[in-house]
Amino acid sequence: MNFMDRFKISLLPFSALVFGIFALMLLVYFTNSAEIFSREGIKIYTTNIWLASEEPEKEFYGVLAAIYGSVFTSVIAILIALPISIAYSIFVVDFAPKKIKEWLTIATDIMAGLPTIIYGIWGVFVLVPFLKTYVMEPLYNNLSFIPLFSYPPVSGYSYLSAGVLLGIMVTPFATAVIREAYKMVPFTYREAIFALGATKYEATKVIIGYIKPAIIAGMILAFGRAIGETVAVSLVIGNTFNISPSLFAPGYTISSLIANQFGNAFIYEYMVSALFAAGLSLFFIGLAINLLAFYFLRRWEESGSRL
Amino acid sequence: MAVDYNIDARLIKEKIFIALVILLSILAIVPLFHILFSVFYNGLPVLLKGGINFLTGTLPPPGEELGGIGPALVGTFVLVFLSSLIGLPIALIAGIYAAEYPTSFLGRATKLLLQIMMEFPTILVGLFVMQILVIPLGTYSAIAGAFALAIIMMPYVAVTTEEALREIPSTYREAAFSLGFSRAQVVFKVLVKIAKRGILTGVLIGLAKVAGETAPLLFTAGGSTRIYFAGIDEPIGAIPLLIYQLIQQPYENYHQIAWGASLVLMLIFLAIFIPLRLKLREVRL
Repeated sequence: MNFMDRFKISLLPFSALVFGIFALMLLVYFTNSAEIFSREGIKIYTTNIWLASEEPEKEFYGVLAAIYGSVFTSVIAILIALPISIAYSIFVVDFAPKKIKEWLTIATDIMAGLPTIIYGIWGVFVLVPFLKTYVMEPLYNNLSFIPLFSYPPVSGYSYLSAGVLLGIMVTPFATAVIREAYKMVPFTYREAIFALGATKYEATKVIIGYIKPAIIAGMILAFGRAIGETVAVSLVIGNTFNISPSLFAPGYTISSLIANQFGNAFIYEYMVSALFAAGLSLFFIGLAINLLAFYFLRRWEESGSRL
Repeated sequence: MAVDYNIDARLIKEKIFIALVILLSILAIVPLFHILFSVFYNGLPVLLKGGINFLTGTLPPPGEELGGIGPALVGTFVLVFLSSLIGLPIALIAGIYAAEYPTSFLGRATKLLLQIMMEFPTILVGLFVMQILVIPLGTYSAIAGAFALAIIMMPYVAVTTEEALREIPSTYREAAFSLGFSRAQVVFKVLVKIAKRGILTGVLIGLAKVAGETAPLLFTAGGSTRIYFAGIDEPIGAIPLLIYQLIQQPYENYHQIAWGASLVLMLIFLAIFIPLRLKLREVRL
């Protein structure tokens, strides 16, 4: 065994390096946000104040609006992605003719890999004007008494625009997970269900119920992608400190806040630290979401291996 | 499931269900076609009008001609090359480690960490690299951008490498060992060669991925619109970064350049991705 271990030891530094980079990253986030934590405590996460000032005593930062915006837009995104990705999985596996099946999968793979800035430019020049004219304005004009629609859509840059764009961007990721799980359900199950005289709808309902852990995992992964996305969102969200229940209001997300403010943060005493604290919250949200998704994926895999 | 014995109601439900699935499926891929269409529709005239100068020229003053995206194009290739130099060796060996020692603690932990890093918000990597490289060096630089991209590339390459190696039937490994090879020889001379295609796929996915990244470059590469390449310790451009900056400008000709640059970026991505995807069953992004 000894000579094998030498091989193991020679590979070790490289794996250790990956861990080292990750640990260093965590360290950098902690040390850089320490300053703002000792100054403001938990208020950095619980208030919506952004006072940048030449005089350090007057500075105060609270990133609640960005956290709110991140969650709000990501929830919109998965509400869009959930029905579409399930339907698309069903369509590809059950309905589509064999010849185009492969192409339908390639189409979503391209969507998953397409540079996000291309979604960004399309979002700014195509999606936002479309949503503003055909969705926001009619809803605002007729239903503005509902809080969800209460904000006048002046520019079109809003939670809704960001949420819809994110929904389009994360649907392929959710689809990949759900489609694989849906395909894995043994054919005998389908035969058994149809043998009971079930219609397609009823059979699908049973199978969808069966792959629920995979659907949850797909949604969590999609949520993680949505919350971490930066440039496409920062181009369409409006970049305004705002906490509004209205879909049409402009806002911020954590990542778009960092993208927008970090460039000029160095002229202020505490802003860099505040942005690192915002990054740290994203760091932990990202970590928690991924671990949760792996937990559900493993549950699905285990239930699959029992077949 | 509440069983409904009314046949008509069940058939109506069935029809609605099928219609809904088809409708939602169309909704799923309409954006892709609309994006492809928009980028071609807006980008192609720019590319044709600008000609070869669009690929080689520099950014014009606001409001006038078309100029070109030369520095950004050069920058993207430099950044992808440099990040491969940094990221690929580490990623390949980390992938081999996770495949060779799947039951050891570090092997399992490496795999989990790589999967987490794959899903990680890329802006956080940019912020991190700014703090450890850009601030100490005092300037945005190609090397900082390449380092950020290398961190993003690593998990894709490593995870595909690991999966490609794990797929090899154990009989090959046993046969190699029975010839008296050491473990290093078994891995590098036999297994890596068998898994060559899978590993190459991972590398190409990694390259395609980082060529299109914007967020990690915001605070690392700095961007450059007039100078092509001034050394690895100087700021450098990148196509995605250029598009991001141009969209936010109010000038019409800058928006046109942004569309043209998007078409170039999309063609680079599709040129790597489509051949890759057609040869393979499954690609993970």
